[in-house]
Amino acid sequence: MPTGSDVILVIVVVTALAFDFTNGFHDTANAIATSVSTRAMSPRFAVAMSAVLNFAGAFISLKVAATVGSGIVDAGAITTTVVFAGLVGAIAWNIATWWAGLPSSSSHALIGGLIGAAFVADGPDVINVDGIIEKVLVPAAVAPVLAFAAAALAIIIIYWMVGRLRPGPVNRGYRLGQIVTGSMFSLAHGTNDAQKTMGIITLALIAHGDLPADSFDVPFWVIVSSAVAIALGTYTGGWRIIRTMGSRIIKMDPAQGFSAQGAGAAVVLTASHLGFPLSTTHVITGGVMGAGAAKRLSAVRWGLAGNIAVAWVVTLPASALGGGLVYAITSAFGSGALGPVVVAVALLALLIVVFARRLAQHRVVAAQG
Amino acid sequence: MTAAIDVGQLFELVWAGAIATIAVAISFSLVIIGAARAEDCRRNRRNGSATAYAALSVVACVAFLGIAVFAISVITSK
Repeated sequence: MPTGSDVILVIVVVTALAFDFTNGFHDTANAIATSVSTRAMSPRFAVAMSAVLNFAGAFISLKVAATVGSGIVDAGAITTTVVFAGLVGAIAWNIATWWAGLPSSSSHALIGGLIGAAFVADGPDVINVDGIIEKVLVPAAVAPVLAFAAAALAIIIIYWMVGRLRPGPVNRGYRLGQIVTGSMFSLAHGTNDAQKTMGIITLALIAHGDLPADSFDVPFWVIVSSAVAIALGTYTGGWRIIRTMGSRIIKMDPAQGFSAQGAGAAVVLTASHLGFPLSTTHVITGGVMGAGAAKRLSAVRWGLAGNIAVAWVVTLPASALGGGLVYAITSAFGSGALGPVVVAVALLALLIVVFARRLAQHRVVAAQG
Repeated sequence: MTAAIDVGQLFELVWAGAIATIAVAISFSLVIIGAARAEDCRRNRRNGSATAYAALSVVACVAFLGIAVFAISVITSK
């Protein structure tokens, strides 16, 4: 007979995989949007390739999994209910930004959700402000600026080098290059983000007493299920964000797409090599803007860029608010499984409504077209 | 607040990221320049120049793929 804590654990695992799925379709745009908009790849091929590489990336390493939430929230404050509330806060923010077509960091949403839930559960003492500055705020400020400058530098060099060649071979060439840089980005994304879900599920298993607390061994079923969830989410594809990233910020040519992706991949991988946690979303968005601005400042839709920047700034507090609110609602039903069950059912109903409305809108647009 | 920021690491990220970006941009642009010029030279029956440009393109392609392989090794060794 399953106990209340067993039920909560199952809900946490399912919610974590749901977060992984939203992470996949939300952040797919990071890797493939520029490739799609410059017609380096067909949309279907791009999401399929990205899904495969995200799946493969999830198996490559487990070091990131052990670092989820570490240095930001005290380990003693992590309970299954805190993890659940944090995940729901992050999913809600991912859905909201996806609805608005704004690229925002799923990792920051997850961290924000955990901070909010832990804050409501145990008070401000369990929050490590230095950790937030070091692992969230400084990287969030550095990533887009560095990627912007790197992509601007790259496109200036590229235009200088190939400016006198015929455009046909040049465009074909950079489209081919985008397949390589897009693949790098997808692989890096799978390695980073799928592991965060693995880390969350492993933390819940430790908190539930199913795994020893003194070592951080990720069970194989957790690795496989996380890889499948992020790959399925990626294959589903967040087309609204892909449109924003690929054509609404700037209208880009293949050389600009290559610059944005190449600079983005170089910056993300250099940061990984140095152990500096950067958001792939922030990097590629900065890269896209840099590649556009270096050609012509007015080529960038700065109003939209401003909206994206606001979404980035709001991500942490908004998801923290969501995580805290969900924890408060869950706790109002007592310490048993009833609270998480009620919230999970409400979340599921919300997701069904959101996706049904989106599907209906697509049908209307298709019928009018 | 300053204690939480490793300025040395940040500086390293800036210059290493810039160098990696420049390496990617230059190596792949040389692939395209070599291939495009080789095609032009072949059309104009300048076989010597065509071979030289093709060689440039191949060498640059090897360099670009070397960077990609290094990037994969960075990902896998994390």
